[in-house]
Amino acid sequence: MSKRQSNKEHRDRIEAWRKDAAGLSYEEAMQALDLLLAELQNNSVPLAELQQRVLHGEVYLSRCQTLLDSIEQSIVELDPSTLEATNNA
Amino acid sequence: MSVDRLPTYSVAELNTAIGSLLERGFAPRFLLEATVSRPQLKKGHLWLTLTDGAASISGVVWASKLAQLSYKPKDGDGVTVVGKLNFWAARASLSIQALDIRPSLSTVLRDFERVREVLEQEGVIDPSRLRRLPRQPSTIAVLTSVPSSALADMLRTAAERWPLTQLIVVPIPVQGSVAPTIITTLESLAERTAELGLQALVLARGGGSREDLAVFDNEALCRILANYPIPVVTGLGHEDDLTVADLVADHRAATPTAAIVALLPDRYAERQGLMQRQSRLRDALLGRILRERQRLQDRALALHQQSPLEKIRHQRQELAQKHQLLKALSPDRWLQRGLALISNDAGDAISDLESVKIGDQLNIRMSDGTLEARVDQIQRSAQNTTS
Repeated sequence: MSKRQSNKEHRDRIEAWRKDAAGLSYEEAMQALDLLLAELQNNSVPLAELQQRVLHGEVYLSRCQTLLDSIEQSIVELDPSTLEATNNA
Repeated sequence: MSVDRLPTYSVAELNTAIGSLLERGFAPRFLLEATVSRPQLKKGHLWLTLTDGAASISGVVWASKLAQLSYKPKDGDGVTVVGKLNFWAARASLSIQALDIRPSLSTVLRDFERVREVLEQEGVIDPSRLRRLPRQPSTIAVLTSVPSSALADMLRTAAERWPLTQLIVVPIPVQGSVAPTIITTLESLAERTAELGLQALVLARGGGSREDLAVFDNEALCRILANYPIPVVTGLGHEDDLTVADLVADHRAATPTAAIVALLPDRYAERQGLMQRQSRLRDALLGRILRERQRLQDRALALHQQSPLEKIRHQRQELAQKHQLLKALSPDRWLQRGLALISNDAGDAISDLESVKIGDQLNIRMSDGTLEARVDQIQRSAQNTTS
């Protein structure tokens, strides 16, 4: 496999991880990150996969940071008698 | 003054004149502090006597007003009445027409104690029932007055601390006869907690007097809160105000803002946690590489130690060490220092005069050779002679 092919695969893999992480809530991304850290810290990850796992962890980390920095609070007001939304601020 | 000059009235005229005088000369509205005595419902109107122990006056709450009151006075209750004078000219009778009746602080606190005692005895108020609050709730309900400064403060605090949580605001009335409305809202919401994804409920009301919080001592309302399907946080009134709702809630916050602080994490602290995890990720990579390198070195060393050449070198080294030890223990070291080793013809070492007699042949071994000698004389040392 040529070096160019290998780099493309690497980029594609990271892009796929990003897409997956984009669907995770903060808690889910944090949980995934903590699981990965635990694996990394008990030496159970084969050496050849180490770099990939760390990159994967950074994708989760980045998802958490993005959520913390950019989210605008969702506020819904309900009609007290029907409990249906009256607005969506 | 002659009798002719005195004003003359019919009874009706007199009563009308008194009524007119009272109407002109008395405040149209006033507050009256009193204790309620003998309240009675007649044809939907509430009749009662208002007294302070020394004096009393009758009062009435018309049925239309009674329906609007958040509080129904009971015998012996201390109350503050917003009232006006009512004068019936037909019988010249005077009473207070109550436009609003609020319980006095003592009445509110007495009700608080009564409900608290009932719920404590039943185990509804029990610290062991308190549930843990969700750590990072995705959705919470906020029941409070809308619009209100309490809600504005809570929304601002939530946006600062944890914008990831969705807030579902359910307006509730906080003035007047509001307990049934709040109870209905709570019950409807309880049925939809799963559908709305609610993980906690905040019940909040800003400032005001302790009397204004009396609705949160309502027994039925507090029973619903105690058995609510999701954890309940109260933020009612001021820091010093304590209601029964606070006692049945899973967490009592001092104010509405404090309720949000208790429930939502701080995103700045969370950022610190993320930074620590980032360091751990990097450390995990570098640390692992260092450990693997060390393991590799250990294996190389172990392999090297297993080679035949290394084994021979090791055995040589061991032999040399033993040789050194042997040399250290040899008597030659003593001969080198000027001492001599004496033995008889049979080769036995001589260590005292007992084994020697005159004429014996002795061998004296020194560092560089051996002398042969014959015993001519034996002289014991003074110490041995005396013994």
